[in-house]
Formats: sequence, structure tokens, C-alpha cells
Amino acid sequence: MDCSQFEEVLHDLDRPGTRGLALREVALVHAESCSRCAQLMTDAESLDFSLQTIALREAHLEAPPRIEAHLLKEFRVHNAAASRRRMQRRLAALGVAAAILLALGVSLRHGSVFHGKSTPETSANGAATIVSPVEVAENRLPDSPDETAFVSLPYAADPATLENGAVVRVVLSRSALASLGLPVADVSATEQVPADIVLSEDGAPQAIRLVAQANLDQ
Amino acid sequence: MTGTTELTDDGLVRRLLAGDEEAFGLLYKRRHPSIYRFALHMSGNAAVAEDVTQEVFMTLIRDVSRYDPARGSVAGFLFGVARNHLRKRWEQDRRLVPLVGDADDFGPLASGNGHHTNSRNGNGNGHYAVPTSRDEFSSMEAVSRVRKAINTLPENYREVVVLCELEEMSYEETAAALGCPVGRVRSRLHRARAILLEKLRDAQPARRASAVGE
Repeated sequence: MDCSQFEEVLHDLDRPGTRGLALREVALVHAESCSRCAQLMTDAESLDFSLQTIALREAHLEAPPRIEAHLLKEFRVHNAAASRRRMQRRLAALGVAAAILLALGVSLRHGSVFHGKSTPETSANGAATIVSPVEVAENRLPDSPDETAFVSLPYAADPATLENGAVVRVVLSRSALASLGLPVADVSATEQVPADIVLSEDGAPQAIRLVAQANLDQ
Repeated sequence: MTGTTELTDDGLVRRLLAGDEEAFGLLYKRRHPSIYRFALHMSGNAAVAEDVTQEVFMTLIRDVSRYDPARGSVAGFLFGVARNHLRKRWEQDRRLVPLVGDADDFGPLASGNGHHTNSRNGNGNGHYAVPTSRDEFSSMEAVSRVRKAINTLPENYREVVVLCELEEMSYEETAAALGCPVGRVRSRLHRARAILLEKLRDAQPARRASAVGE
């Protein structure tokens, strides 16, 4: 071993898992024959001793207990808020699902629920209208140019989910529309209003738009 | 009964995500001392170390989704957050950068501000015992010089000295904590130690001369 090789491993002579430890004996033999490297080794050992002393003295230092108490309190507050948000979302979804089921039930009773796939023919005779995701993304239904734009429901998930959703045409009472958060002038009116509802893959309503009566008559 | 897997750092993070307070407590108890000491050594200030420790674990509470097991360990994530907070502090307040010879700012060892979990090295009141012999005095002097020298190292050298030498982490663990290759840790540590040796030699020429004379 020469001096440059010695200097290369000098700082790893006592470090487990390093080349320095493997070459320790050879390095010691070199230091015995080289006063400069011997001095370097003495200095490095002195540095090691000081560093180990510092490490030992400070090994038991830690943050004061009040930090932990504060963090645990913060964790509880954050956790409670997150739970509340989750619960609110679930309740809102349940409420809307219930409103839609109710509306569907009322519609069935009046014999005005539409069935079938989205074709101009079935739309014309009042069938449930389901369009492809592309059509949903483009915010339009085939052959029905006069609807209003889709309005996202308050609890709706990521808009990206709309791309995989389906559009169902239903007839809702004004009170059901109001329960979905739409501004309705006369809630007590019994008039049925046609609307398109976007359902996500799991069947949760995501957006709604009103359909002009004229379109239904086409 | 809690399984072994659930007691790994990753297992605790999963439980934490589900709102398990006990998991957070366990993770804090396990990881905060090294984060606190790292911040203390890097800032040279106990108050800053406390703030940084608190901020690191607040990040874990509020934004645990930022942790990606594929990108590194929980410890690495926590050290990374601690480094970011330290850098922000230094940018906000330059006077918090440790100054040469500013050992009196070094928290608990000098001022008794810190918290010790036992009194093996101290007297139980947060203060260390008064040295009783000449050897002990000289050892404390040497330690004090090394501490001052560490505080004057550039940040990237200081952090490897703190992690490899004072926290006694392996090169691999340090590389994971700092998010850099093992080779870089090794070369930085060697360079840092060489700088420390130079500083210590410069700091005691008279001492060395007398030693040689003997």
C-alpha cells in the first residue's frame, strides 16, 4: 500500500462494510513505515474519538414532550375533520340517490319513464337515453341540440369520472330538482321536468341538465 | 394483536392514513429523536430544531399522501422534509445560520434547553457534569473544537458528518435519507473529514508544537 491508497481508505478503517475495514491491517503496516501517514492516522483517530464522544453525549437528546402533545392534538383535529368530510360526502350521495330513486318511482307511477338505449327513435318516444362517454365529454346528446349545459352536482367526484359515465334521461318533479341543488322557481308545482343525469361508473349521479320540452317532442 | 408488518415504518404509515393515532405516536417516538438531532446539528439552535421537528411531523399528518414508498424509506422522506424546512428557515432568516465559534447557540449542551431521556451523560437537570480531571478537561476541549469545526462546514458536508458520524448511519442509510448515491455520501464524508482535520490542525498549532517537543 502506498500513501495515496492509505489516504483513500483512512476514513473508513473502522467503518463496517467498507473497503477500508478490509484493508485495515495493510494500512496499519504502511503507517508503521511512514511517519506522515502515521500522523494522519493519529489525527483521524482523535477526530473519531471526538465525534464518538459527541454522538454518545447527544444520543439521548430529543424534542421536548410538549411537541408530541401538540402533534397528537393536531392529529386528532385533522382526523376528525377528515372523518366529517367523508361522512358528509356519503350522506350527500345517499340523499341524492334517494331523491333520484324517488323521482324514478314517481315517474314509473306516471308511466313516463323511458327505457332503452340512446337512439333518436327511442328518445322520441321517451326512452331512457344513454350516450357514449365521448358524447358525454362533449356535453351533448345526439339529436338534442337545445338542452342546457350539464351542471356538476355539489358532491360530484373528479370530472374525469364523467368520461366513463352514462347519461340517463329522466323526468323529475320540481321538488326533486330543488333537492339536487338546482334553482327552481316554484317547488310546490306538480309539473314534471325532463332532465339528463350523468351517472358515474358506480351509479352515483354526478351532473344534471334540463332538457327543453320541445326536444322531447321532436 | 399487532403484526410485525404493521410495526414497520411503512405499516405505521398505512395505519396512520386510516386515522390510527397509536400508529402516529409510535412513528413519532421512533423517528423524532434523529430528526430533532439532525435539525439541531444543522441549525445549531434548539428552538429551530424543535420547530423543524414539529413541522416535519405536521407534514406527515396533513400531507402523508406525499410519501411514496417506491421513492424511498419513511426515514428518508422525513429527513427530506426536515432539510427543506431547514433551508426555508435559512432563507427566511439568515441569522439562524450557525456562525463560526458560535458554540454557545448549540442548544442543550450549552444552555440546557433540550430534553434528555436519561442522565447517563448528564446530571439529570439538563446540564452535564463538571469535568473533574485534566484529561477530562482536555477531552471536552477537543470535543468543543470538533463541534465548532462541524458547524463551519458547508451544508452538504455537514449533513453527511451529522448522519454518518453523529447518528452513526451507514453510507446506504445516509444515501437513502439524503436521496443521493452511496458514492457521493462516501466522497462527501471523506472530504468533510479532511476539512475537519485541517481546521483542527489550524486551531491548535501551539498544542501540536508542545506535543512534538515532548
